[in-house]
Amino acid sequence: MIRRGIVLSFLGHELRDLRTNARVVPLFFIFPILGITFPVAIALLGPSMVTEASRDPGMMAVLKAATNVIEFQGLDMSDAMTRYMMRAVVAFYLLMPIAVGSTAAAFSIVGEKQQRTLEPILATPITDREFLAGKLMVCLVPTVAVTWLTGVVAVALVDAVTYVRARELLLPDRFWVVGIGVLAPLLGIAVTLVTMRLSARSVDPQATVQASALAIIPGFLVIFGLFGRILIASFPALLVGIGIMIALDFWLFRLVEKTFEREEILTRWR
Amino acid sequence: MITAAGLSRSFNGHPAVENVSFDLPSGSLLALLGPNGAGKTTTIRMLLGLIHPTAGSATVGGIALSSGEDARRHLRGSCGFLTETPGFYDRRSALDNLRFFGRLYDLPNPEERIERQLRAFDLWEHREKPVGSFSKGMKQRLAIIRALFHEPKVLFLDEPTAGLDPESALEVRELIARLKTEGRTIVVCTHNLNEAERLADWVGILRRRLIAFDTLSNLQRGAGSERSIRLGLGPNPDQWRPSAGAFPGVVNVELEGASLRVSVRENAVVPSLVAALAAAGATIYEVTPERSTLESVYLSCIREPG
Repeated sequence: MIRRGIVLSFLGHELRDLRTNARVVPLFFIFPILGITFPVAIALLGPSMVTEASRDPGMMAVLKAATNVIEFQGLDMSDAMTRYMMRAVVAFYLLMPIAVGSTAAAFSIVGEKQQRTLEPILATPITDREFLAGKLMVCLVPTVAVTWLTGVVAVALVDAVTYVRARELLLPDRFWVVGIGVLAPLLGIAVTLVTMRLSARSVDPQATVQASALAIIPGFLVIFGLFGRILIASFPALLVGIGIMIALDFWLFRLVEKTFEREEILTRWR
Repeated sequence: MITAAGLSRSFNGHPAVENVSFDLPSGSLLALLGPNGAGKTTTIRMLLGLIHPTAGSATVGGIALSSGEDARRHLRGSCGFLTETPGFYDRRSALDNLRFFGRLYDLPNPEERIERQLRAFDLWEHREKPVGSFSKGMKQRLAIIRALFHEPKVLFLDEPTAGLDPESALEVRELIARLKTEGRTIVVCTHNLNEAERLADWVGILRRRLIAFDTLSNLQRGAGSERSIRLGLGPNPDQWRPSAGAFPGVVNVELEGASLRVSVRENAVVPSLVAALAAAGATIYEVTPERSTLESVYLSCIREPG
């Protein structure tokens, strides 16, 4: 059982600290700016991208992929291309909770050690599960909130562009709703948990940040290289991805809880 | 209130604490003494349920350590712990820090308790200031509030005056003395023998094992194998020094003002020595047993081959 009040205590207490975290704060600006710029640029440039495709073999390949998507068959090439590129942007939104969450999580436990606040916290009657859930929420809630907010702003701006041009509201489509609304937080949970595990075992905050950066590179590669392509082509693949992530998140939380050794943390840290 | 039986803990096969057994009555203050690495902090962490013993058992305030995670959680909730370093969020105010820890203790009416304690410890005026701006003494007082505001019956204080200037250390000692009068059972880990002598009812000397555990007065009466008495003698006490020194069982005789300080192997020597000196014509107007200082008790225990 997790007492909600304990988790909220961590959340309320640490959100203010997060605002002064020099590593995390820039990410809260950079990712939303890019997350809004990309889809708006696609909406603006959609028709010209088709013209560009006739000169650029790379763009031609994208156009080909777009027109091969079953759902886009029957649409004109410009519309298919724009929608295809919009789906690709979802992959970028999946990166936001990964990058921001892992950076925040790197300091989550080793930072407490560094401030010497970990022993007083562990001496209170909170359980390991409550402590870990509190730390997870601290890393995740602001990250997911910023991801969602960025998505909402992007949808509004993209629709403004497409409505003016073609009296059409392009977003949100189901990829955006399910991808950004569900899959992004699930990916964030997984990466945050892995980084928290590193943070709990670490005695050096800088080393944890570096190790967490290494840990998320495979995540980036999977999303961009493989998962991204499948996502763009297939909504069922997105749902399967969500199912896998739910199972993975539960497993990771249990693993992190099981391997969270209060004793080791207290006795190794000097 | 606290009972330990054969409490032991090893780290990677190296014993840190071995076979510690004692029984501390309710409402008393135990000073746990010992050199660095003697196992003092490990012992209180075990008693708090923060780390598991590799052998032995303990009961703190009626809660057995081996009763599972729920019991250990209950134990942590019913004990107060002052850690070796205060451990606060330096950029946050005293009030913010206490509110956060108060929520972790799931306290009813935390605001009221926090205000009461901050006022009692003369920190109310500083409640909005960041803890990083506090002196060490103020931080320590704040840490004591944190250890106390859930009204624990048992309190563990790890090096409460370490690193404090004399004035702050005195302040903290006075606070501990005040807590003692409130009927709490207190365990203090300290290197400061003077502090232990002033505060403790019971003293435990730890060097991986508990090599001494008794009331302060018993330890002072029975330090090592030697006892000392002071003999107040009539005019020219120095003339009796050779005969006292030659008496069987006497280890050493020193002249101190108008008295002889005589060290004997055992107390039984004293009556016959006094009788012999009186029979030889000495005027004895005072025989006073000398109490050992805690320092001499501590050093004699620590220097004994382990």
